[in-house]
Amino acid sequence: MSRFRTRQGLAPGTARPGAGLRRRDTLRLLGLGAMGAAGAGALSACAPSGGSGGGGGDASASTFGFSSWSLNEEASKPVVEAIVADWESAEDVSIDAVSYPYNDYLTQLTLKLRGGQVTGAVQLDIAWLGALAPMGRLLDLSDAAARGGYTEAALTSGQYEGTQYGLPWTTASIGLIANSTLLDAAGITEQPTTIEQFEEALRALKDLEGITPYAAATKVAQLKDIFPWMRTFGSTLVEGDTVTIGDDASVEAVEWYKRLYDDGLIAADVDRFDARALFAQGRVGFYDDAVIGKGATIAQASDPALADAMVPVPRPVLASGDAPQALLWGHVIVVVDGEGSDAATEFALHTTSDTATVADYFERLALPPTTAEGLGDPAVAQDAFTTEWTERITATATPGPFWHLTQNAQIEEVVAQQVQAVLVGGSSARDAMNAAREEITGLMER
Amino acid sequence: MTPLIGAARPRRGERLSNTAFALLLTLPGMALFAAIVCYPLIASLVTGFFEQSLVLPGRSFVGLSNYREALQGDFWPVLRQTAVFTLGATAIPFVLGFALALALNSGIRGSGFLRGLFLFPWVIPGVVVSFLWMWIFNANYGVLNGVLTRLGLIEESVGWLGEPGTAMLAVIVTKSWASFPWIMVMMLAALQTVPRELHEAAAVDGSGAIRRFFTVTWPGVRGVAAIAILLEFIWNFQHFDTIYVLTGGGPAGSTETFAVAVYREAFHGFDLGRATALGGLWMVLLLGLVGLYLRMFERETDR
Amino acid sequence: MSAMDTVTPAVRPAKGGPPAPPAPAPVKRRRRADQRRSSVAAWAAVGVIGLFGLLPVYWMLVTALSPDDRAFRFPPDLFPRAVTLEHFRAFAENEALFRYMLNSVVVASITAVLSVVVSAYMGYSFSKFRYRGRTSLMNFVLASQMFPQALLLITLYAVFSEFGLLNTYAALILSFTTFTMPLCVWMLKGIFDTVPDALLEAAAIDGASRWRTLHTIVAPLAAPGMVAAGLFAFVRGWNDFIFALTLADRDTQTLPPGLVNTYIGEFQTSWPALMAASLIVSLPVVIAFTFLQRYLVGGLTAGAVKS
Repeated sequence: MSRFRTRQGLAPGTARPGAGLRRRDTLRLLGLGAMGAAGAGALSACAPSGGSGGGGGDASASTFGFSSWSLNEEASKPVVEAIVADWESAEDVSIDAVSYPYNDYLTQLTLKLRGGQVTGAVQLDIAWLGALAPMGRLLDLSDAAARGGYTEAALTSGQYEGTQYGLPWTTASIGLIANSTLLDAAGITEQPTTIEQFEEALRALKDLEGITPYAAATKVAQLKDIFPWMRTFGSTLVEGDTVTIGDDASVEAVEWYKRLYDDGLIAADVDRFDARALFAQGRVGFYDDAVIGKGATIAQASDPALADAMVPVPRPVLASGDAPQALLWGHVIVVVDGEGSDAATEFALHTTSDTATVADYFERLALPPTTAEGLGDPAVAQDAFTTEWTERITATATPGPFWHLTQNAQIEEVVAQQVQAVLVGGSSARDAMNAAREEITGLMER
Repeated sequence: MTPLIGAARPRRGERLSNTAFALLLTLPGMALFAAIVCYPLIASLVTGFFEQSLVLPGRSFVGLSNYREALQGDFWPVLRQTAVFTLGATAIPFVLGFALALALNSGIRGSGFLRGLFLFPWVIPGVVVSFLWMWIFNANYGVLNGVLTRLGLIEESVGWLGEPGTAMLAVIVTKSWASFPWIMVMMLAALQTVPRELHEAAAVDGSGAIRRFFTVTWPGVRGVAAIAILLEFIWNFQHFDTIYVLTGGGPAGSTETFAVAVYREAFHGFDLGRATALGGLWMVLLLGLVGLYLRMFERETDR
Repeated sequence: MSAMDTVTPAVRPAKGGPPAPPAPAPVKRRRRADQRRSSVAAWAAVGVIGLFGLLPVYWMLVTALSPDDRAFRFPPDLFPRAVTLEHFRAFAENEALFRYMLNSVVVASITAVLSVVVSAYMGYSFSKFRYRGRTSLMNFVLASQMFPQALLLITLYAVFSEFGLLNTYAALILSFTTFTMPLCVWMLKGIFDTVPDALLEAAAIDGASRWRTLHTIVAPLAAPGMVAAGLFAFVRGWNDFIFALTLADRDTQTLPPGLVNTYIGEFQTSWPALMAASLIVSLPVVIAFTFLQRYLVGGLTAGAVKS
């Protein structure tokens, strides 16, 4: 009550209805800060001081959280829930399952980690480690990692600035997948290995009726798929603290992309989901996907023969002999320092390295394991598509150029927006990439 | 217009003065506002003067530099796009909702059933609405392209959400679809307060339908229309879901509004200082606009 | 028109009043022609806007009935050729979705009730009392909507966390109630404005306290309007995504984030399943609103005179 009295006391003049009152309205509207400040003061006075720190909980507690978007998704839910339930009963622990939609996952996790609300094990896309690790809440898992028998490449995907924060759950890459039936129909007998051959192949596919030759990402969400192409053209994208986007190679890559776009070799408004849907109908020659995309695509396909027609294609290179570019892709499990972190570490280790578990995980979701033993399991080793993928594409895959930065998501968005501007004719490749470089440099300096 | 009498007159035998009683009535609401809006608002506005990250601990005072930076760069294009979106997504549902209300109020048969049916878009969860329209607008297998192709109106599929020219339109259409039922309900309510006798009297005087609309109907519903437009305007300025799901602000930033920009600064760039500075500018802007609007509106109803 | 009946006699525009005196014959004829024209115009408007309003709903239904492999055909089948109920079945088998639905109903309903109670007091105060700062408070209620809610959320999250309200219904309900209040306060104030001051005076003369007057005399008069305001508040709680996502956990999550988490995944967007689920969850609300709509419109009518 006192607050309102104070406010009343401050109000000048009488509450005479009429012009005077109204003239003051705008001012009052703008002067609301005074009242709000009073409210805020009152509140902050009675609220305990903010930000409960991490690491305060009992590390040996047998209750911990497990955050994972896979826990709610239709396809993966039963599998992951079973892993959780089995571990709960086997080890007599209690796991609090937490889940957010994939697209909002990083945001939610950041917010909640910041508020000290996340405990236990956390599933992460390997691209997100750079955003979360600097918050200082994650546990160094080197000891557990040493016990897991992970492959070197997989381990690398869980490291940030040399520290092993993540145990790799699945490691693969994003590369090109082709529809060999369509390629045959277009008279393409050999997989294109150079950009030149690739473009020829696309033009041949274009001659078929109603085909999108290359369902490359043109929506912001996945336009970061252009990074491997920029690298293919010879751009390093970033060297230390210097952004090299805007150099000749990257501009050339964007100009090439734009040409494909203008000639109808790639289509507007495509993201990964669209590409899969179109591919599933046999309307796409090539598209970019992670190895797991095969399952998602086939699920939508009406023609069961499509599964056999899908072949991994190493990304064409500028000059034959170059190493094909691919983007590393995968999931890791990290552990938050604090309540139940010991038990959570054991859970993470088991989930990612127990051979029976990871082999079953692969069989049901097509997510390749990360341990030598897991990869050697017959269920995995006998899957020709995955094996071929691992050997031909993942072998030369590299992490995203900006993953180590907290601003990764925003940087990728900047590039995507600028490339999009070029595609829709809003600016030249040179101007757009220079603008991107300036913007990214600005972001990195913050 | 209401005379300032009635319950406001002090009465003997009650402990609280009328003013105190009136303030007591507002107390629960004000407490909620203080906790849910004011405190976070003040905390946010303060953040605008600091360099503060969402992910890194600590912050340092930087004065107005966040505001300066926010005003540079994309501020003006974003302002323009916000204006286009807000005006479009306010005007279109208003026209549609009002037209529908007029039609349903004209005593046509089955209006009760139709009213119920038209509520559908309003109660489908907002994010689902966005996904539904994303599905409809899809360049490669969307039903809109399918229908237009079949009707021979277009030859090649249009990337509705992929072209700057059509993306904003698509976003506005989607938002309009979700909110026109709300306007319809409000305006139906308003229309029912216009006494039928006035209409009949005007008709006897020989006024045509259009004339009657302007002399009888519109004055009767103007008050509700004004507040419905105001709220819709504020909400649209604030609106985020539809744009974020449909275009993410693209293509090439052509549908980026303040709401999207703030979200991106805060949750993708983790730059709370910049995000709140932008939010502060937005608030000043909106308060100014709404203040103007209220004054205009009050002057009008005073007549 | 039955909606009118829910309005109290005191505030009802005299619809049931004496019939208009018979008009001279030529005017009558012209009026009939006029009416026919306006009826045609009305149907045309309903038709055009109806297409815009309902075709997407129809398309939801078609999509929901399509098997996965047909849903992405182009050009699409405008009438479903192969029909399947698998997506509806899948919904029925997913227990988590029922949980979300229950959460949504609980959260939205309590939000509706709480909003109405809180807003009614406030609206009554604004309507029937004159005091210094009243206009400021009214503007303040409106102004509270003008800052990016996503940013409020960051601090709000910390506040709820401090008070242990995170992941509870309360966090969602309190937030939604606050954000829906400007609309509710305005609606209810309008309704109270139409309650004649004489009625309050009479109650006071009879010795009723202000509380009693409000609760036993004014509130029943405004009841239809309260139902209407409650329905609006319900929709706010029903539709929200970002707050529901951030402030709730798996057990208290409402439908919007729940649906997205289930169907819009890392690898797959299950359009048909999403559409089927959305239709199912929207249907009860549409049906309920169809029955309650006489309040939605009629209840507001009283308040619509003033603003």
